[in-house]
Amino acid sequence: MRLACPCCGERSLDEFTFLGDASVTRPDPSADDAAGAFHAYAYLRRNAAGPSDELWFHNTGCHAWLVVTRDTRTHEILGVRLAQDVALARTGNRKDVRETSA
Amino acid sequence: MPEAMLIETTPFARNKPIAVPGLVVAYRDGVTVASIAAYREKAVALSDLIEATYGVALPAPGRRVSSNAITLQWSGPGQWLAIAERGQRGGAVRDLEAELKPIVAGLAAVVDQSDARGIVAISGTRALNVLAKGVPIDLHERAFATGDVANTHASHIAITIARLDDTPTFELTMYRSYATSFTDWLRSATAEFVHTQPR
Repeated sequence: MRLACPCCGERSLDEFTFLGDASVTRPDPSADDAAGAFHAYAYLRRNAAGPSDELWFHNTGCHAWLVVTRDTRTHEILGVRLAQDVALARTGNRKDVRETSA
Repeated sequence: MPEAMLIETTPFARNKPIAVPGLVVAYRDGVTVASIAAYREKAVALSDLIEATYGVALPAPGRRVSSNAITLQWSGPGQWLAIAERGQRGGAVRDLEAELKPIVAGLAAVVDQSDARGIVAISGTRALNVLAKGVPIDLHERAFATGDVANTHASHIAITIARLDDTPTFELTMYRSYATSFTDWLRSATAEFVHTQPR
């Protein structure tokens, strides 16, 4: 399996580390239902047979976190995006996030 | 009690030279190195300022540029490595961190990496044969031209590799503590070439 890193181009799998499901977002710990929300965040997974978003880290490359869309049945890679861009699109332009390139 | 002494040594000082026909391994010592990390939305202003100061702008991702005064090497999103000779004509000593910090104040974080990196240049007709044993990316000039830079690994040791010319010459930058492991790998990778001439 090879991943096309948006920074580095296509690289072999041994440059990357897998983290897990990229579709979950950390809940607000001060919310009333925080305990239930954190249980779902930590443990509940769709485990889809098909396209699924995963977090990968380019650990011997550019050190960027990536959101990889992979078909779990065929290992086909349907897309690779910078996790930073995915997070920005989800939350709007947060002030604590730095831009990705010159 | 004898006075404690710290004796400066280079990353590759403990490694015996590698002598292989068709290959030149040159450990690069006496350099000043600093990392540059642009603050949010400051990369363009930073690049303009660097260009006004040194005559070369910050290189695009995957590229490296050099002027007489400085080499700038992309090292990640919004990050670069600046490299220069430490010793200057007339005996002056150059320190890139001290030099860059006031220039880019408010635009980027600058941290000295002079003693944190080991740099080695590998060149010659057999450079590609040797590097292909441990580096997983295509280093042929059609895929990796002069001035190209990549973060990858050599036998699982994280490196930044740049192609300097079409000899070919490659410059590899690694974390200093991996210098001995890297040289051990390089020695075994070159072993088959020791007693034969390149074709």
